[in-house]
Amino acid sequence: MELTRDQHLAMHRSMVRIRLFEEAAGTLMETGKMPGFLHLYVGQEAVAVGVCEALRVDDYITSTHRGHGHLVAKGGDLARMMAELMGKATGYCSGKGGSMHINDLSLGMLGANGIVGAGVPIAVGAGFRNKYRGTDQVAVAFFGDAATNIGAFHEAANMACALHLPVVFVCEHNMYGEYTPTSKAMVIADIVDRAGGYGMPGVIVDGMDVLAVHEATTEAVARARRGEGPSLVEAKTYRYYNHHGIQNLGLKYRPDDEVLAWKGRDPVFSFEQRVIDAGIATRDDLDSIWSDVRAEIARAIEFADESPFPEPDALLQGVYTEMGA
Amino acid sequence: MPTVGIVVNPWAGKDVRRLHAPVGHTPDTAKVGIVRRVVIGALDAGASRVVVARDLGRIAERAVHGIDNAFLVDGPGTGSALDTRRAASQFAELGCDVVVALGGDGTSRDVVIGWPEVTLIPISTGTNNVFPTFVDGSSAGTAAGLVATGRIPVASVASTAKRLVVDIVHRDGTTERDIALVDVAAIDGQGTGARAVVRPERIRAVVAAIARPTSTGLSSIAGRTHPMTDADEGGVVVRLAAAGEGRRRLHVPIVPGAFSVLDVMSIDRLAPGEHACFDGPLVLAYDGERECVLGPGAVARVSVDRSGPTVIDVDRALRLAATLHLFDAPMNDAPMNDAPMNEEASDGD
Repeated sequence: MELTRDQHLAMHRSMVRIRLFEEAAGTLMETGKMPGFLHLYVGQEAVAVGVCEALRVDDYITSTHRGHGHLVAKGGDLARMMAELMGKATGYCSGKGGSMHINDLSLGMLGANGIVGAGVPIAVGAGFRNKYRGTDQVAVAFFGDAATNIGAFHEAANMACALHLPVVFVCEHNMYGEYTPTSKAMVIADIVDRAGGYGMPGVIVDGMDVLAVHEATTEAVARARRGEGPSLVEAKTYRYYNHHGIQNLGLKYRPDDEVLAWKGRDPVFSFEQRVIDAGIATRDDLDSIWSDVRAEIARAIEFADESPFPEPDALLQGVYTEMGA
Repeated sequence: MPTVGIVVNPWAGKDVRRLHAPVGHTPDTAKVGIVRRVVIGALDAGASRVVVARDLGRIAERAVHGIDNAFLVDGPGTGSALDTRRAASQFAELGCDVVVALGGDGTSRDVVIGWPEVTLIPISTGTNNVFPTFVDGSSAGTAAGLVATGRIPVASVASTAKRLVVDIVHRDGTTERDIALVDVAAIDGQGTGARAVVRPERIRAVVAAIARPTSTGLSSIAGRTHPMTDADEGGVVVRLAAAGEGRRRLHVPIVPGAFSVLDVMSIDRLAPGEHACFDGPLVLAYDGERECVLGPGAVARVSVDRSGPTVIDVDRALRLAATLHLFDAPMNDAPMNDAPMNEEASDGD
């Protein structure tokens, strides 16, 4: 089915929300207003948005250490996200989880995860739950290229295929595991080559093109809902900033012209050009989305700033099951 | 210096059609093996050197490892069709006599865009290929080497392919020209999406230069209504109708293993010099991949001529070589033949 104008604009808004949220959060962290450190999703927006726009609210996703984009794309509340990153009681995890545990179960977002590859078996568990209960919900596992060198990925992929579960594995292949080029860590260059080893189809898609990601994911989700089992979508993409933060730390682990070449295919700006060329929206329409989102980010920061830190007596809340008297 | 160039599309055989139909996957390890066999075959047939274009899949690097007179050219690339086009241009500058291209229809098209006068052996590693063929790398390499050295005259074993020429005039008056080797299709939509065409209801028309009834993919619409031999000039234009409004109804494998029912409005022969016109908004797919978005007010004119690449028929080349005894090795250079055959037999008693 052809996407409507509203769907195009929703995808654009979602990518802009990720871009501006991440840049604001990165700046807050590096100016000392936000504790800890962040792995920013800038550059990869088309993947999260293309995938999540192909999902229903009741579908599940699991995320990674670079997880803000996934929650935003699933419909996350920027104010609660910002509050969580600032460690405030109004945040998604009451200020006790931070960036790498952020989640919203009401949106089916089962959590970011600080352990590389650890979200993959959780998605397979969600897929098992869906099949066991006889629902037509689908579970999506987001993970990076380096995560496919982790045992958890292989066990989860095997189990999903053996049990024929409604799971879509989405590999965000951004060419680096932290600061190590993928080419130094594995012989193969395409993660889809691993899919066949477990008996599922795997496809490569341009991860800088939100419509390409959306179309491929729509196919993968549809076959999962039909009971045809798991599949793997490998999105070739790129992270603009370093493994964490915004500032250039002087690390020379990737060539400048490579970074510039990928930025030349920016997922947000290239999508804007397409929708303008196709007569779907005007420059003014898109500029007004940027303005709306900037205002939303400002409100989110204000909300987080004004929110209280968690009280000391909340320390053990959410840690243990309440057994009752 | 007899030189063979090889370019491989690392992403061929890995597109979205695998989610839609029981289509196979071509892993890089298979491509490494094919490239290596082409290299060995070409050198065995007498090529002085083989140049292989680097690719993001690092297939070329692995394939030539440890082989003398096999060299890598070009940088790591962009991961797009530009890599193949640039490699073909480099092959032209290096004076390659023959280029072997691994991939699908689109890969061959990219080679021709990079080097329109190329002499080509296209090997299929794609999904539903019409232009390239399934042929073993050793045999393709042998044919390439024989032609590169001049031991087989190219005119005896090759033919000039047809091509589709697409001339576009956009609403603002700007123009562009593109080519395809198999088909040009008009697809409903506003973007190129995941590029491969899997939704039959979006296909508005197909212009095919190659219309074989045995093909799969978009050209099968023409091949199953108006088959042509590759030697026939011109092409076929099939325009489709909305469901229930056509004059004929067809079963066609738009994707291998996925048959669609299409309603046909018209089927016309497109003679050389004639053209088929398409008005935007629509998306043009070249050789099966959505490439060009035509906005409202834009017009595309598609024609078919015989100005495509020179394509070597591997089977013909090897048959001719066999007839000319070009595979014969000197008897005194073959250690196995030094021993009297009766001695071998007596060893077994």
